[in-house]
Amino acid sequence: MIKHHPKFELLQSYVNGDLPASLAIGISIHADMCTDCQHTIAQLTEQVAEHSFEEATVRLDDLDSNSFTSYSEEADEEDFFESMISNITFSDDADVITEALQREVIFRDKTYQLPTALSRIELGKAANIGKLSRSRLQLDEDEIHSSLLHINPGGGVPAHTHKGFELTVLLDGSFTDSRGEYNKGDFILLDGTFTHNPISQNGCLCYTVANDALHFTQGINKLLNPIGSFIY
Amino acid sequence: MVVEQTKLPTGVSHAKSNSMNENIDHTQLSEWLNQVADKRCKNAFTHLFKFFAPKIQRIARSKFPNEAQSHEVVQETMSNVWRKAHLFDANKGAATTWVYTVMRNVTFDLLRKVKSNREDNLSDDIWPIAEGSVTEEQVYEDHLESNQLLRVIEALPEAQQQVVKGFYLMEMSQEQLANHLNLPLGTIKSRLRLALAKLKVQLGEEHD
Ligand SMILES: [Zn+2]
Repeated sequence: MIKHHPKFELLQSYVNGDLPASLAIGISIHADMCTDCQHTIAQLTEQVAEHSFEEATVRLDDLDSNSFTSYSEEADEEDFFESMISNITFSDDADVITEALQREVIFRDKTYQLPTALSRIELGKAANIGKLSRSRLQLDEDEIHSSLLHINPGGGVPAHTHKGFELTVLLDGSFTDSRGEYNKGDFILLDGTFTHNPISQNGCLCYTVANDALHFTQGINKLLNPIGSFIY
Repeated sequence: MVVEQTKLPTGVSHAKSNSMNENIDHTQLSEWLNQVADKRCKNAFTHLFKFFAPKIQRIARSKFPNEAQSHEVVQETMSNVWRKAHLFDANKGAATTWVYTVMRNVTFDLLRKVKSNREDNLSDDIWPIAEGSVTEEQVYEDHLESNQLLRVIEALPEAQQQVVKGFYLMEMSQEQLANHLNLPLGTIKSRLRLALAKLKVQLGEEHD
């Protein structure tokens, strides 16, 4: 059972297309598995669409009269749109629907089917430390890093905190931390104030997004700090 | 044509709200979309264009700094409407919702191209614009096919993979690829040729 969902405001930004790709992907993955959020997203999309297109009817002839200084420029704009219409309709060809690629990944001999949102994103080579494997997604979003993180049965991420945020979406399996158990489909967004120590009894695969290297906080684990940037 | 320029107040969106009935004629919009889908009707498309294009342009103008980019959003969105109208299903939602989705996706991909310099066009994977129009069984078979294809592609040398994936999976043109990978066009062409030859052999072998 999915217990952790994106906040309403986050779903709203998702629908508006305002989130960075990494977070939009996280929500898309969650919504794939969560009918509640699917429903909210559908409703929000309908509302924002209605709102976008109901605004006072601006006719083609009125377009941008404030930004046009002369009548001839406005006429140019009209011509421009007319030629756009004929360009677009020049060919009668329609697009053929291609099924989204279903892509599989293998971590430590176990095969997982990736969600559609991840089907075309380049994956870096998996790097392994102990029971952890991480493969970076090539999204090129500067300080925001997205990865697939695999934890072998019995493994865990040492207690750590973030200066930024940390998103985990469980693609498969489950893990626990001091707050409870998380299962497939759960969408867990933590800010920098929270320290946790996830352990996975039976192993799991997560989609993770973080905007800062994690920082280990406990005893001997502090020695691990150089690998903080490795994991997330 | 009116020579005297209609002076629209700056707050366009609010100014007209009391003088015009803003209810959108959803039935009419759906009908036009269906005519575009079924009959490739240019007249219906022109109606859709006149309804949506100015609004799309205004929305895009608020997200992009320059006019060329907002034109690109209009061009891309409306050309997707023309080419993908058959994916619209009036039973699943309003025409406005569907066109909004197309516009939002185009905008997202273009913003990503501007900001991160990535032309990976992820939007349709993140927000699908067509859903479940094929039966379960076909889906399953398709998956097997593309899985197999992807495995074969991934067995190619890295340099050829890039070109094949860009060309076939991301539908980039050879020129775009040359630009993107910073390679001469001739190199792209020869890599593609080599890769195709290998794919044919591989796929042929797997089918036998
Ligand atoms: Zn949910």
